[in-house]
Amino acid sequence: MKRGSDAGRGALAPLLAAGALGLALYALLFASPYAIRLLTLAGIDALLVIGYQLIFGHAGALSLAQGAFFGLGAYVTGILGSAAGLGFLVTFPLSLLLPAALAALVAVPTLRLQSHYFALATLGIGQVLLLGARNWDAVTGGANGLAGVPGVIVLGIAVPAGLPLLALIWAMVALGGALARHVVRGPLELAFLLLRESPLGAAAIGLDGGRLRLLAFVASASYAGAAGALGAHALRVVSPDVLGFPVMVTCLAMTVIGGRLRVAGAVLGALLLVSIPEWTRFLEGAYLLAYGLALLAIIILMPEGVIGVLERAGAVSRSERPLPPVRSRPPPQPAKAACSECRLDIRGLAKRYGGVEALAGVDLALKSGEILGLIGPNGSGKTTLVNLVTGVDAADAGAILLDGAAIAGLPAHGIARRGIARSFQAGALSPSMSVLDTVALARQAAERRLTLGRALVAGHGRRAFEAARGEAMHLLESMKIGDIADRRCGELAAGLRRRVEIARALALRPRFLLLDEPAAGLVTEERRRVADDLAALASEGLGLLVVEHDMPFLMPLAHRIVCLDRGRVIASGTPAEIARDPRVVAAYLGTAAPAAG
Amino acid sequence: MLALQLLVNAVALGAAYALVALGFVLVLNATGAVNFAQGDMVMAGGYAAVVLAGSLPVPGLVLLPLVLLLTAAFGVVFSLIAYFPLRARPPAAVFISTIATGIILQNGANLLFGAEPRAAPALLGGGILRLGAFVLPRQSLAIIAVAAVLGLAQHWLLRRTQFGRALRATAQDREMARAVGVRVDRMIAASFALATTLAGAAGFLLANQFFVTPTSGSDLILKAYIAVTIGGWGSLAGAVLGAMLIALFEVGVSAVLSYEAAMAALYAVLLALLWLRPQGLIGEAARARA
Amino acid sequence: MAQSSRSLLAAAFAAALLCGAAAPAPAAELAIPILVPVTGFLSLEGQSQRNGALLAMADAPPGLAIRHPVADTGVSPAVAVNAFEKALGEKPVAVIAPMLGTEMLALLPLALENKVPLVTISGTAKITELGNPWIFRFFPGDNVVKLAQARYIAEVLGAKHPAIIAQSDAYGQSGQHYLEAAFADLGIKPVLSETVDVEVKDLLPVLSKARAAGADVLVPHLHAPATALLVKQASALGLGLPIVSGSAMATPSTAALLDPAELKGVCAESASAPILPTAPAGERFLAEYRKTFGGEPDTYALAQYDGAMMLLDAIAAGARTPAAIREALATRSYRGIAMTYRSDGAGNMAHSALILCYDGTSRKPRIARRYDDIVALK
Repeated sequence: MKRGSDAGRGALAPLLAAGALGLALYALLFASPYAIRLLTLAGIDALLVIGYQLIFGHAGALSLAQGAFFGLGAYVTGILGSAAGLGFLVTFPLSLLLPAALAALVAVPTLRLQSHYFALATLGIGQVLLLGARNWDAVTGGANGLAGVPGVIVLGIAVPAGLPLLALIWAMVALGGALARHVVRGPLELAFLLLRESPLGAAAIGLDGGRLRLLAFVASASYAGAAGALGAHALRVVSPDVLGFPVMVTCLAMTVIGGRLRVAGAVLGALLLVSIPEWTRFLEGAYLLAYGLALLAIIILMPEGVIGVLERAGAVSRSERPLPPVRSRPPPQPAKAACSECRLDIRGLAKRYGGVEALAGVDLALKSGEILGLIGPNGSGKTTLVNLVTGVDAADAGAILLDGAAIAGLPAHGIARRGIARSFQAGALSPSMSVLDTVALARQAAERRLTLGRALVAGHGRRAFEAARGEAMHLLESMKIGDIADRRCGELAAGLRRRVEIARALALRPRFLLLDEPAAGLVTEERRRVADDLAALASEGLGLLVVEHDMPFLMPLAHRIVCLDRGRVIASGTPAEIARDPRVVAAYLGTAAPAAG
Repeated sequence: MLALQLLVNAVALGAAYALVALGFVLVLNATGAVNFAQGDMVMAGGYAAVVLAGSLPVPGLVLLPLVLLLTAAFGVVFSLIAYFPLRARPPAAVFISTIATGIILQNGANLLFGAEPRAAPALLGGGILRLGAFVLPRQSLAIIAVAAVLGLAQHWLLRRTQFGRALRATAQDREMARAVGVRVDRMIAASFALATTLAGAAGFLLANQFFVTPTSGSDLILKAYIAVTIGGWGSLAGAVLGAMLIALFEVGVSAVLSYEAAMAALYAVLLALLWLRPQGLIGEAARARA
Repeated sequence: MAQSSRSLLAAAFAAALLCGAAAPAPAAELAIPILVPVTGFLSLEGQSQRNGALLAMADAPPGLAIRHPVADTGVSPAVAVNAFEKALGEKPVAVIAPMLGTEMLALLPLALENKVPLVTISGTAKITELGNPWIFRFFPGDNVVKLAQARYIAEVLGAKHPAIIAQSDAYGQSGQHYLEAAFADLGIKPVLSETVDVEVKDLLPVLSKARAAGADVLVPHLHAPATALLVKQASALGLGLPIVSGSAMATPSTAALLDPAELKGVCAESASAPILPTAPAGERFLAEYRKTFGGEPDTYALAQYDGAMMLLDAIAAGARTPAAIREALATRSYRGIAMTYRSDGAGNMAHSALILCYDGTSRKPRIARRYDDIVALK
């Protein structure tokens, strides 16, 4: 599957290039002014959609502000170009910057909202701008808008309408597309994938989801602003229509129909949706009806967009080509010696959910090299404890100290970056990501190599990612699961998934590792392997907290065991002491506990 | 005096908006998808009433059940075309398919009926009711009454019948509902039918006073969307509350400020609400799942 | 093999994408494309515009072969420009251009560049204020009709405290602006001047404000549904105020929404009254329109009919090129059904307006006043 889609993408490149060349030749040699006009519009829309793919496709947030940013860009160019008489070199950068600034501003209160609220809040931006554009006559020209927007003039040289403007706009599309691809492809693309498919998993490897979404939102706004500015130059007027909801609907439709993630999809979607209503024009009054029917047919028949259909066609024809082999390489020695005397202290930790007291003042301590088992009946607060320590949930009271420094209240990704890794009871892997990429992404994140600056400089694709992939391969081989490196996480059996999660956690080089039921659902052989892995890790100096029900698994493994019941510690000691403790037995068997001494 | 009239008008408009928003929430709960054609369903209901009234010279009250039946059947067809083929896809796909359906409905109506505004018959005769110094439009009172009856009927259906329990089970957890023997597909189709029925009723009621044109439904979807967000995503009571709030701004606040200021104030309230109470007025606190 | 067939597919795709563009035009006939908004919020008026133009083409002087493809301009300037660029492929001698002001503003520079006369019925004042020699407007602009509306209110009704209620879009803002200017000219200060969004349903709030402000006449400048609603709600409220509306109330389909009793004391400005013909030519137009389109013509249909007829008249008189046609339209005078058209030098051809009033017994208005040779407001 993984191989298939990559091969499909590869096979598609010459086809798309041929299509692009054909269109370019057509535009140069045969196109009527009308065809040039349509291609110009398609280029503007393509730029808009390439930006929208960042926030909607990659970051997975249904923003309905892309149309508003487009309109804002158009108005900035319109107002500064026609009223203030400024040139392209001033108006164009400002048309990018203002929407980006507005995006950054509104992102603060809105990006934390859940998906549909985010959609509505972003829709509100457009409505407010529209009200402003219609009623702020003196500046915006009111409902009539502004006429006489100048063409593109760079350093005194005018770019005339028709072919020259078309060339300029498609050059911008090529530039914008290349930039988006350069930045997003490779590790950042994987980071977005994990963020979409498993936000918890993303936080657990230290990815700041809010920051990634903010970047995508701001970038998408500047693409929209650029498209709006070029649209204003091409149409020579700006009216409130550019802020209307139909612009947003068209952009969304182009993205879904073209494809959400590929730049080529944005271009195809734009070309197609600009053309369909023109093809159906001969139907006169019924042409928009035909447009609606065509839209419905495409969305039903092409689930992954036009680009998905083409990719699949490409993948079927090419025989499955294996990925180039990854050269396994040991990770570089850390600058600081591995911590041998680290401590994780938990004091008086408490949490209520509604009326239920999940944790009622728990004290725990964990040292480097130690395996601490955490047991207790269902609902005794074990998972809550792990969630509080790793910042997935906020504690109501109590302290969490890592080597004496308070970490309670930090976000989950911040805690992961401080060296506390975890696995999840239900798993938090991206089902469509390969095992190797899953672990390599964690390596990349651990080395702080997932920044925008790095993505801009280091270039796209696999190369920037080669070191992390080598190290990930090394880690997988050392855990004896190198053979599944290019399988997708979603295809794996539960035991393998558990071990991939452990490998991913280890790729972060944590000081402490918190495992939530690592043996659940595993067969004996798999359990033994996981136990061996854990024992080896402890002997290398890692501190482990293992939440588990499976006593035969935990007894020989743990150095100490703590038992929780109804949010309180009811016993702690060596495995042997715990096994004999009547309160533990009672808690598990459900008989009344004898009074605690 | 006037304040009371404004209040009655606001409640009537809010009641009609509430029907639209309720249908929106029903589909949302059953499928997790946003039905962007809900506003155009209102328009379709309006034209259904206009056409039926043209061929059947009976009072509006008799026409109402016919319109409801017609729009219910339409809802099932709608779900078969725009939802079921896309059920395994991300919600954005249904978003687009319903937008496409809306385009088809609008332009179909433009072709069939032309762009002239049309008026549907009044439910209980037009004109006004004089209560002392108060002048109340009969149709406004009829809208409030019908919306209340339909709202209560829906509440009864969802809370007190086996069908309603199956519907709610489907909305809560589709797989679980299937496991206990609920025919999930039928329940989803029924949700669509109910949603378009409520929209159709709203269309009938609104098309008397406010007329119907091919584009008259397109702005309603924004209002439904806002109502549902204000009220709490997925909450039926919240949708009604949100719809009333919008109508209050539209009719009440705009009687004091200008329309533009009233709308700007509505968006300001909306943004403040999203900021202070992201879960909506009536909504469970959104809690991250571990 | 699969590979090459896919390449073919892609080539076909690319070719198909653009095939709509290159239909060659036969040389013998002249082309006058009809670009009008027949979908979207202005489709009612846009369809009237189209019908008027089509009727004129059917009535073309014998011997003239005119191709007149119809294309929708929707509601956005971008769609209008698409339609125009496509129409340019037909090498038109003139274009019937959309009545939507924002679309006209986008088409004006293209008409100048390509030297094609635009014949329109858009009321937006600004389109003839830009010094573009290729625009000809066969409809009195708001700077003409609003003056007639205000004068009727001041001089015939003797009202002193008008309340202006306008739509908040381009149509409404233009009307509001010139109503305010016209009243100022007459020394009257409106007690209320407010805009209402197209989406707004209930008009009771603005009516209550008008009452509170002490208005003695309501002056709406709204689209058809809102106009009908305003008249209905004002009647239900028992305000007892006269209403002198924008042209929407002069349209038969708007009157059809109301009871005759609700129309008592309601007047409207209009460029013409095609359902009240005063001469045989008008009667013939009315009969033809009813027969062809099965409905009542409104003032837009008649204005566009007159405009297209003047265009055809110029062609019949020998103007066969865009430049010759422009020259003819700019200098000649034409006696149409609604009025006599003559350019004021800026392309404004229509300078007359009517006030129509309903008497409360039928949905058919009567002509209350006729204003000719109005000097436009600045």
